[in-house]
Amino acid sequence: MVTTQSTSTPLAKVVKVPRWTYLWDQVIAYLFLLPALLIFAVFSWYPIAQTVIYSFQTVSLAKPPVWIGLHNYVRMFGDPLFYIAWRNVFDFTVLSLIFGFLVPILLSLMINEMRRLGQIFQVITYLPTLVPIAVALLVWRLIYAPEGGVLNSLLKLGGLPPQLWLQDPHIVKLAMIVIMTWLGAGGSVLIYLSALKEINPQIYEAAEIDGFTFWQRVLYITFPLLQSRMLIMLILQVIFVGQVFTEPFILTSGGPANSTMTPVLNIYRTAFERSDFGLASTWSVSLMVVLLSFSILYVWLSRKREANGDV
Amino acid sequence: MTTTRGIMSDVEWRTLGGRLIVALFFLILLLFSLSFLFPFFFAFTAGLKTSSEIVKPGLRLFPEIAHWENYAEAWRRYNMVGMFLNTFIVAIGGVAGRLFVSAMAAYSISRLKPFGKNVIMSLILLTLTIPGIAYLIPLYIVITDLPILHVNLVNTYLGLWLPYAGSAFVILVLKNSFDQIPQDYYDAAAVDGASPIRMFFTFTLPLSAPILLVLGLLAFVGMWGDFLLPYLVLRNSELQTVSVRLFALVRDFPMNLQMAGAFIALLPPLVAVLFLQRYMRGGLTF
Repeated sequence: MVTTQSTSTPLAKVVKVPRWTYLWDQVIAYLFLLPALLIFAVFSWYPIAQTVIYSFQTVSLAKPPVWIGLHNYVRMFGDPLFYIAWRNVFDFTVLSLIFGFLVPILLSLMINEMRRLGQIFQVITYLPTLVPIAVALLVWRLIYAPEGGVLNSLLKLGGLPPQLWLQDPHIVKLAMIVIMTWLGAGGSVLIYLSALKEINPQIYEAAEIDGFTFWQRVLYITFPLLQSRMLIMLILQVIFVGQVFTEPFILTSGGPANSTMTPVLNIYRTAFERSDFGLASTWSVSLMVVLLSFSILYVWLSRKREANGDV
Repeated sequence: MTTTRGIMSDVEWRTLGGRLIVALFFLILLLFSLSFLFPFFFAFTAGLKTSSEIVKPGLRLFPEIAHWENYAEAWRRYNMVGMFLNTFIVAIGGVAGRLFVSAMAAYSISRLKPFGKNVIMSLILLTLTIPGIAYLIPLYIVITDLPILHVNLVNTYLGLWLPYAGSAFVILVLKNSFDQIPQDYYDAAAVDGASPIRMFFTFTLPLSAPILLVLGLLAFVGMWGDFLLPYLVLRNSELQTVSVRLFALVRDFPMNLQMAGAFIALLPPLVAVLFLQRYMRGGLTF
């Protein structure tokens, strides 16, 4: 007996079959899932659970872990470095709002106006995103060099004093944000460009006929329509900045004077240089809590945007 | 709806005001492009200078004499061939693992619909919200001592391939992609007597070739440039990837050779862009 089904039923129910076949199909389904389940269990779920457990223990590679309750947490909250590191993340986030966030939006607006020619500019902005980060940072370190560095030489030509880009605690974060923008702008531009292209051009035409200038159209049409997506990208930006590690690790080792110390950098230090895995896990838990909150915010906003049918 | 026009209409494009705006944008974009390309240019020319020339004060965009032999020497001394080979092995194995594992999982969730698939999907999505760095320590400990099997994966390529294979993002994208293949295809094949396994290889995979290619390329480029995990897992200098090696040898090499090496190391992903470019036409939606 053949029964045809709608598209939402499992493959098995195309024909009327005895029960055990249905079970067999479940087995196949799980067999297909098995590699992924194994990988996730071993390299994601188990480590996540372990991080939380380790945060309450003294862990070392040689001896079995020892339960010490909240001791690590007391140490972490009592460590001034904790507040410095998170303050730095906050500073980085604020700076990245201006550069890492605004720049791609403006760039994609301009690229979108260029029609065919914009293609080249889009590719150029995307190039740095593909480069091995560590290698690029080595190059940037030389560009920022205080003595013979190119940037300082350019400043001298312009009559401005040379800056200690990576050595001065006041501008080192800015210098890093510039690099991070260079590295990440291309990806954001890609996303904003697709959003811009989705806007119905008839809105622009109607506005133009009604006498709106170019800039008014940008202000009253483009930005409002882009708003929900911008917000989501903003959250993503915060999540991304919260994890910054490679740049301070390679360029400044957290200095000068801890001005570029970040939570992840400290986790790395505590774990791999001081072998205090327990305390490192405690820091990791704090990182998880913060990033998880923003991630949940991101998911919630995405769902809302989809439900509203925004661009 | 994608169009080739921006905020300005074709008519406005030809007015004086419109032209001025476009010219302004072009100028700004040109400036940005020059600064975006500058580090590449810098690495290239620095590789042609002598070390002392690089740190000499004053703006010297071009070397006095182009020391092309620096590139040959960097290639030889860094053992670029070996490094590229290592990085390639890491990336290709990682991509293969990731695509294979994710495609099977996505197929299962999309088509085979196992019992409890919503729970499983949520658990997988959970890993999207918590970045890998947050559980780096236990991850490393697991790599040094795999549970049950008690194998140490440090200094092995598997130690990178296995963690790389798990990507919730790829599974998500593939699941959406597989969902869009009409059920009728499967029904027709089922009537002809094909098993789900057969259907996976015979048409789910071929139909999804474009998205698999894009995801594979993106993953390849990402893994090529990955630093932290290879830095922790590959301790043996003979196995190390480009990023790790260049960083580890920072003190052992003169500046100009470092830049020459860096420039060579920057090239392969750029070549990959040439392939990706075609798929970037309309932008990506997430």
